[in-house]
Amino acid sequence: MPLRLLKYGLSRDYPVSGDIPATPELKPAYDVVIIGGGGHGLSCAHHLAKYHGIKSVAVLEKGYLAGGNTARNTTTIRSNYITPEGVAFYKEGVELFERLSQELDFNVMFSQRGQLTLAHTEATMRSFHMRAEIGKHMGTRTEVVDQKGVEELCPLLNMDYGGPLEILGGLWHADGGTARHDAVAWGYAAQASRRGVEIHQRTEVQGFEVVGDRVQAVKTNRGRVACGQVLIATGGMNYDVALMAGVELPIRCYPLQAMVTQPLKPWLDTLVSSVSLHTYLVQSSRGEVVIGGGSDPYQLYSTRSTLDMKEHLAEGAVHLFPFLQGVRLLRQWAGITDMTPDYSPIMGASPLANLWLDCGWGTWGFKATPVAGKRMAQTIADGRVPDILKPFALERFETFQLLNEMGATAASH
Amino acid sequence: MNRLPAPFGSRIDRSRPVHFTFEGKPFEGYEGDSIASALAGSGQWVLSRSFKYHRPRGILSMTGADANALVQLPSEPNAAAERTPIVEGLRVSAQNVNGSLERDRDAIMDRFGRFLPVGFYYRTFMGPRRDSWLKFWEPIIRRKAGLGVIDTKAPHRHFDKTHLHCDVLVVGAGPAGLGAAIAAAEAGAGVVLCDENPEIGGALSYGRYDPGILSGLASRLEALPNLNVLTGTVCNGWYEDNWLPLIQGNRLYRTRAREVILATGAIEQPAVFHNNDLPGIMLGGAAQRLIRHYGVRPGQGAVVLAANDDGYRTALDLLDAGVSVIELADPRSGDEAGPLHAELRGKGVAIRKGATVEAAEGTPGNRHLASVRIGGSWIACDLLTVSIGNAPAWQLPCQAGGKVGYEAGTQMMTITLPKGSVHLAGAVAGTDELEDAIASGQRAATAALSRLGHAVAVEPLVTPKSVRPRYVQPIVADPKGRDFVDFDEDLQVKDLQNATKDGYREIELVKRFTTVGMGPSQGRHSALATARIVAEATGRSVGEIGITTARPPVGPETLGVLAGHHEVLERRTALHTRHIALKAEMKPVGSWWRPYFYGDASGAEEAVREEILAVREGVGLLDVSTLGKLEIRGPDAGEFLDRLYTMAHANQPVGRVRYCLMLNEMGSVVDDGVAYRLAQDQFYVTATTGAVARVYADMLFWNAEWRLKVDVLNLTGAFSGLNVTGPKARQVLETLDSDIDFSHDAFPYLSGRDGTVAGVPVRVMRIGFTGELSYELHCPSSLALSLWDAVMAAGRPHGLRPYGLEASRILRLEKGHILIGQDTDAITTPDELGFGWAVSKKKPFFVGKRSIEMRARLGQTRKLVGLQFPAGARNIPGESCLVLRGGAPVGQITSVGYSPSLGRHIALAYVHVDDRAEGSRVTVKCRNGELVEVPVVAHAFFDPSNARQEI
Amino acid sequence: MKLLTCPMNGPRNIDEFQSFGPVRAKLDPDGTADTDWSRHLFRAENRKGIVVEWWRHVPSNYFFLAERDLVSNEIIRTFDASELRDLA
Ligand SMILES: Cc1cc2nc3c(=O)[nH]c(=O)nc-3n(C[C@H](O)[C@H](O)[C@H](O)COP(=O)(O)OP(=O)(O)OC[C@H]3O[C@@H](n4cnc5c(N)ncnc54)[C@H](O)[C@@H]3O)c2cc1C
Repeated sequence: MPLRLLKYGLSRDYPVSGDIPATPELKPAYDVVIIGGGGHGLSCAHHLAKYHGIKSVAVLEKGYLAGGNTARNTTTIRSNYITPEGVAFYKEGVELFERLSQELDFNVMFSQRGQLTLAHTEATMRSFHMRAEIGKHMGTRTEVVDQKGVEELCPLLNMDYGGPLEILGGLWHADGGTARHDAVAWGYAAQASRRGVEIHQRTEVQGFEVVGDRVQAVKTNRGRVACGQVLIATGGMNYDVALMAGVELPIRCYPLQAMVTQPLKPWLDTLVSSVSLHTYLVQSSRGEVVIGGGSDPYQLYSTRSTLDMKEHLAEGAVHLFPFLQGVRLLRQWAGITDMTPDYSPIMGASPLANLWLDCGWGTWGFKATPVAGKRMAQTIADGRVPDILKPFALERFETFQLLNEMGATAASH
Repeated sequence: MNRLPAPFGSRIDRSRPVHFTFEGKPFEGYEGDSIASALAGSGQWVLSRSFKYHRPRGILSMTGADANALVQLPSEPNAAAERTPIVEGLRVSAQNVNGSLERDRDAIMDRFGRFLPVGFYYRTFMGPRRDSWLKFWEPIIRRKAGLGVIDTKAPHRHFDKTHLHCDVLVVGAGPAGLGAAIAAAEAGAGVVLCDENPEIGGALSYGRYDPGILSGLASRLEALPNLNVLTGTVCNGWYEDNWLPLIQGNRLYRTRAREVILATGAIEQPAVFHNNDLPGIMLGGAAQRLIRHYGVRPGQGAVVLAANDDGYRTALDLLDAGVSVIELADPRSGDEAGPLHAELRGKGVAIRKGATVEAAEGTPGNRHLASVRIGGSWIACDLLTVSIGNAPAWQLPCQAGGKVGYEAGTQMMTITLPKGSVHLAGAVAGTDELEDAIASGQRAATAALSRLGHAVAVEPLVTPKSVRPRYVQPIVADPKGRDFVDFDEDLQVKDLQNATKDGYREIELVKRFTTVGMGPSQGRHSALATARIVAEATGRSVGEIGITTARPPVGPETLGVLAGHHEVLERRTALHTRHIALKAEMKPVGSWWRPYFYGDASGAEEAVREEILAVREGVGLLDVSTLGKLEIRGPDAGEFLDRLYTMAHANQPVGRVRYCLMLNEMGSVVDDGVAYRLAQDQFYVTATTGAVARVYADMLFWNAEWRLKVDVLNLTGAFSGLNVTGPKARQVLETLDSDIDFSHDAFPYLSGRDGTVAGVPVRVMRIGFTGELSYELHCPSSLALSLWDAVMAAGRPHGLRPYGLEASRILRLEKGHILIGQDTDAITTPDELGFGWAVSKKKPFFVGKRSIEMRARLGQTRKLVGLQFPAGARNIPGESCLVLRGGAPVGQITSVGYSPSLGRHIALAYVHVDDRAEGSRVTVKCRNGELVEVPVVAHAFFDPSNARQEI
Repeated sequence: MKLLTCPMNGPRNIDEFQSFGPVRAKLDPDGTADTDWSRHLFRAENRKGIVVEWWRHVPSNYFFLAERDLVSNEIIRTFDASELRDLA
């Protein structure tokens, strides 16, 4: 039995850790104001406080802590993207996850059980080869496997369909895994607030005071807050919040849905996703099977769920694993995702000198929570965008330097 | 046996015994029994072990909503024992036990509870090594977590889906639902009434009511042909525009209702005290259901906890069922129960007012209730029924936009819906009494009917007879714990309080940190108590705290019923049978089946080589029917193509064929094909197989703005295509009966002719994907077989060979022809392909023009070139292998293959723009990591002067 | 399943339709500076509130317009594209 448990058991009272201090009074000014208390905002706050000594930081969260997409995502963590710039960035993200529980002294349950993406067409196999070649070249564990390899990695998959949905092979990404999303946010929140960062829940930014090319202050439902630097990390609201500061981002919002079954004893070890079926599955450590897929087909700022998507995902799941027919679904939900034209995020400078962007995370940003926070903190502290983030600049859309990750994002996030 | 005589047991047929096993032991029940009732009838009260502490658990609600009564069936985990009927020979076992239900080795967890405070897993299991979680702790947790076991060999089951339309859907066939459905149907509306139970009546079917009320309603109902009653049917969600899934067994009714009346009733709430989870402690409604539905006596000696009339009625029912009611404890001190109180007194039952159950004790191993403590003294009993309050069934109303509130005065949880097509009736709307419920159903029907345009007399709004303040149980953590708030997740009062101490003060955070409400019952029995505990702990009101969002589904539903019966879409060309007869190896390409090559799989390489040779030296035949085929008609047809494609088409002479290249607005290449001008106002345009659906849509999308006078017809399925290609192609066609002159002068390269060949009307185009003399014959698909047969017969003396996709790919690669999607990606420009020749410099506009000009100014970084490997080269990189420059990836191989015509491997690849010149050498990284240097050559590897296609 | 009323085919389940996104401002390609042009290409109407957007009824390949609230998802009205010119 781990020592900690023993300590808990033997102490008379519940050992209060006080992870998240109650929301304090708002001060009139902070060096850094972070808008959005999701994983990204909290990670940035932690890195600012711990590694850059910046402690006058306020995280402003309109609802409850990390209740946006951080609380809704299906927690796929991976780096098997297709652009070298993307792979370099997400690889650092995966590496940070490998050490995250220790960094936060909070078990984020990073479970690196590998991700298997399935190809049902030759075109998909070709794109897998591309991802594998880039991945190997950049030093990640990414390889193409044939039908036999697929069967070895996931023996329960239904390999018997012929025809258009036959499984031709897969992309095996041994670095892939999942983590407990809430724990990531809470761990960052606890660490950040222990170092003096203030977390303000139920505090909504409703406007900006812009003078010249600088943000002077943000206006909230709890009053005005002057700021040295501002970070926008508001997930599905990024377009909306940036617009309040006069910055129009190339983002469209689409709902993304997911669902979960009742808990079952372990039967599925890896993450499995299928490009053609637009379905992916992973069994959580609680035993639930989390099932997700593609975005809704039209723009919307809503977290309502649809029956159509649920039927579609069930179809995909049962196609891959026919014995799931008798398994029961417990819950479905949705988040609002901020989609960019090239399926890559927008990080770095904005047209305003002290306004920084950590936006466009769409359906894929959970895995980047540690690395985006780390690199954005560095950016804010230095006032300069580090090389690894430069390709993700907003200006890339003015110069056609897109980082097209669509093919590497469609099947799972 | 705990069985009661009729009239108890409305659901069972005592003349039909059914045998089944539970945990390997034989049991007997009756037809109509659920697993839980049959087991209870035989004295088996323990059904499962709890999630975390492995405590024995039994019937709580008899509604099938909670984890207490989930059992394992051979190929179905987590089946609700309270709802699943027994069938002869059914094998049932308990879930989540280590050993057996009786002897669960993990029961020790109950003693270690103090070592497992809420959220403990976030604070431990991290060491000693960085991968300890993955390698050591997680496997343990995963084994302990989860409930049922999945049968990976489960036999395939059949599910189906159908549609249902109605004017009014009424959900719930209790008094309110019956009142609503009858009123709506009597007014002439088409009504569907659904209820998850096997019978109508809701509380009328198991509660202590005059049976005449239900039979009266039932006979009115039966007289209505426009009222469709679906029992055993759960309405499991509400979605936009009144789209509702009704699940009946293995069938999903996707239902569209114009108006919806939710009469979903209320959910009885458990009481919170030490050991409140022991088998033998159940909700009042569970005892009543056991008695009336199943004829099962729920115990021998009972204590009743009653803070409402239902509790008193339950006590009276118990007496009728021969249970001795030892005492009724009513925490209220007034005379709220009135006549019921007197009736019970009259039967000699001791009633203690102002008293509540403070704790319970179990038999050894906590296998059953042994006694309860009331007012400090212990009372031995084997049954405790709990009737302390209800929560409105908020799930469906909330999905339909309802807001949950809390009325401080009456201590009632309330639901308000926005005005619209969804209405509430009965207990879910807050009514207490039977008559109020029926009346509220009728009112809801009136509202729905008037929205539907029926003339209805607006009934005067009668205030419900009585809305009495609700009793609220004060929840104080028991020092000894085991006072469960959430049975599914084994959460106790202190767990929730402790979560708030750690800062998880918002209800959603409490849920996430403690997992309260996340189990199978989704908060049905815990949400209200949780809100109260959190309100108390954080000094806020219950209204401020609220409950967590109610997400669909309402109750667990199988993936099978959601997936339904599912067919994979696939398409066959008109010539499919011919390919099969010729022993083609067929492959799916997109949704199409296409011949890959003809012959045995073992001789694949040989067959492909021979097919290529046939085309290069004789003549070959390819089924190109999967090509997209679009017909553009109208006076503006030329102008239309001019705007869509990069080349000039307005000035294209009738009878000529032109290459066409399509860009998107970004200037990226998205499709190519050929356009054959059939007449001044008519073009026949091909598109690639995979892109035609999008191209067809895009064409009309653009024209919705341009409003040019054209119409676009998608002929992809209607027309088939045969490519006759090779030096002897002309000879073959000339032997066929035709009104077309196939000679070089009459029918030159890049022209098209209409006519008949072998009696089949055709459109013929001279184009050359293979680089050889080619005629592409397109004809109506219904005639494709005769055309194919005629060409095959005519070709036989010339050695004509049908060839497949693989040969076709090599043939085009030898010519350096690109494949859209393979040799292009989302950012490929015509410049990168060296396709300057295909882009008109004169046209004022075409889609993508502005962007390619701008991109040209921004500078190009890569170029598609040919690579030629030395004959006999050992290490040939595969598709997608990286082209490196200074160690960094700058491009990749897009196509590669062995050219039998050249006797070496050739490839197309993106290289750095500075390496584009013929003769440059580029470095390619092979799959195995080895680097090879390859010279850059021109695109057209074979017959660079293109002489052969024009002969 | 949401309903969408096609001006040509009447109310149908929304899975019979395909969204082609909000109507975009028309720019004169030749009278627009490079950065404005690329911004125009990638910008996306995404304001909370009502948008006018293109929809396609897939079986009939008919394109029309809908006014829809991006927050509530309410479809305020649908109309034929010929009205667009009147709007512009
Ligand atoms: C169903 C689903 C599945 C997903 N699956 C994956 C996956 O498997 N892998 C992966 O990597 N990614 C996945 N994602 C994407 C991922 O969840 C997000 O990209 C990521 O969580 C973004 O984190 P964030 O902190 O930037 O945003 P969020 O977590 O959304 O946080 C933003 C916060 O800003 C707050 N806010 C908004 N407006 C204001 C305002 N005006 N003032 C103050 N606060 C404001 C919000 O309340 C919110 O809490 C998925 C997303 C969804 C919806």
